Amino acid sequence: MNRCHKYKRDLVAYLSNELAPSRAQEVAEHLKHCSACQKEVEEIKRLFSMSKDFKTELQEVMSTVDWDKLPSILTDRVWKREEERQKKLVDSWFYRWRWQPLAAGLIFGLLLGAFFTYFVIKPQKPSFLTARQESKVSVPADFIEKVDLALARRETIDYLDRSQYLILELLQTRKQDEVSIFLTRDKIQQLLTEKKYLNAQLDDVKLLKAKAICDQIELLFLELTQLSSGLSEAELERVREMIEERQLLLKINLVKKELQQSEV
Amino acid sequence: MEQRNGCISEIEVEFLVERIKQGDKEAFMKIVEGYQQKVFILAYSMVRNREDALDLVQETFMRLYEKIQTYRPKENFTAWLMQIARNLSIDFLRRQKSRKKDNLDVLELGRVDLPSPSDDPAKFNPKEMIHKAVARLPEKQKLVFILHHYDELKYEEIAERLQISVGTVKSLHFKAIQKLRKILAPQLGGGL
Repeated sequence: MNRCHKYKRDLVAYLSNELAPSRAQEVAEHLKHCSACQKEVEEIKRLFSMSKDFKTELQEVMSTVDWDKLPSILTDRVWKREEERQKKLVDSWFYRWRWQPLAAGLIFGLLLGAFFTYFVIKPQKPSFLTARQESKVSVPADFIEKVDLALARRETIDYLDRSQYLILELLQTRKQDEVSIFLTRDKIQQLLTEKKYLNAQLDDVKLLKAKAICDQIELLFLELTQLSSGLSEAELERVREMIEERQLLLKINLVKKELQQSEV
Repeated sequence: MEQRNGCISEIEVEFLVERIKQGDKEAFMKIVEGYQQKVFILAYSMVRNREDALDLVQETFMRLYEKIQTYRPKENFTAWLMQIARNLSIDFLRRQKSRKKDNLDVLELGRVDLPSPSDDPAKFNPKEMIHKAVARLPEKQKLVFILHHYDELKYEEIAERLQISVGTVKSLHFKAIQKLRKILAPQLGGGL
């Protein structure tokens, strides 16, 4: 058995004719006298024979392939696929690199335009006037002016009405009547806010008299807002004097009448 | 010494590869001519189906063209190409395995009982059995077996093709035969 061990690893190479001649001779000599190794050799030979059967099948299959034509067929297919791949690459390059800068440029332009419009170009006139000037509807210029004037008159009359009513309320207020004073203060604030919007219209349509009386009313209201929340009898008296001194109610009536007449 | 790879010498292969890198169709066709049968033998030994083996030959050469820029001169071209073919064949068998559970026996050892001559003579097909048994061998042993028995390469040629020593080829061949004897023991009428 010990002697067999020396040869067993070489039996496969021996049957495959892969041993050096001297070693092959040694193995052959051993096989003459060793039945165990002979049995193993027979088994390996049967295995080789089975593999030869498979090789025969392989050769039969290979004989059905046209090896002369296959290279050109395969080469054409490889080239066709490569061309398609290159085309796809070019297409993707076109879409990726040709249009991206253009799209980026457009987006950048839009952003720049938006930024420029928002931060640099500022409207010189109130938005409703700008919109009117930029409007593409062709309307006679004097018609628009008349409409503006009528609107300004209407709003001024309304402002004067409410101011007159408020001043009369102030003149009738007593010191104890604190609730009434608080309500009056709110109304004053509201009228002061309205006056700010009215200024633009008055400037534009040049209603000078109306503007002058509106300014006086505004001045009076501003003074009233600066006084403490609870008006003393003396303060109320001073306000009444101011109103009478300036003949505010009379002037308001006159301007109102004038405006109403010109409106008709 | 100039080594021969089928009918194309090593120097010629280097020259052709350089031309393929520059897009030469004729050079590519020459490489296909020189290696198509070797690739087919390897593929058929693994998948044992003519059409699948031909598809694998085509896929191998397509992959070769795609990867040709990565091939470095003085590298063993045959070993490189055979590696591509072998990897594609293994991928194919894996895909087939996942598609058809029936083919599990082709890949995994000890799952299927091979018929013996005494069972049913109609079922006893030596070609079928040796193919299935070879398929169960570990990759390197399988490759050495295929190259030696089907491609009829000498140990030295296999060593050069796989870039391993002749001693390793001898050892792998021995182990492959021992494993096949073990798998096919009932059919061979012996045993280890």
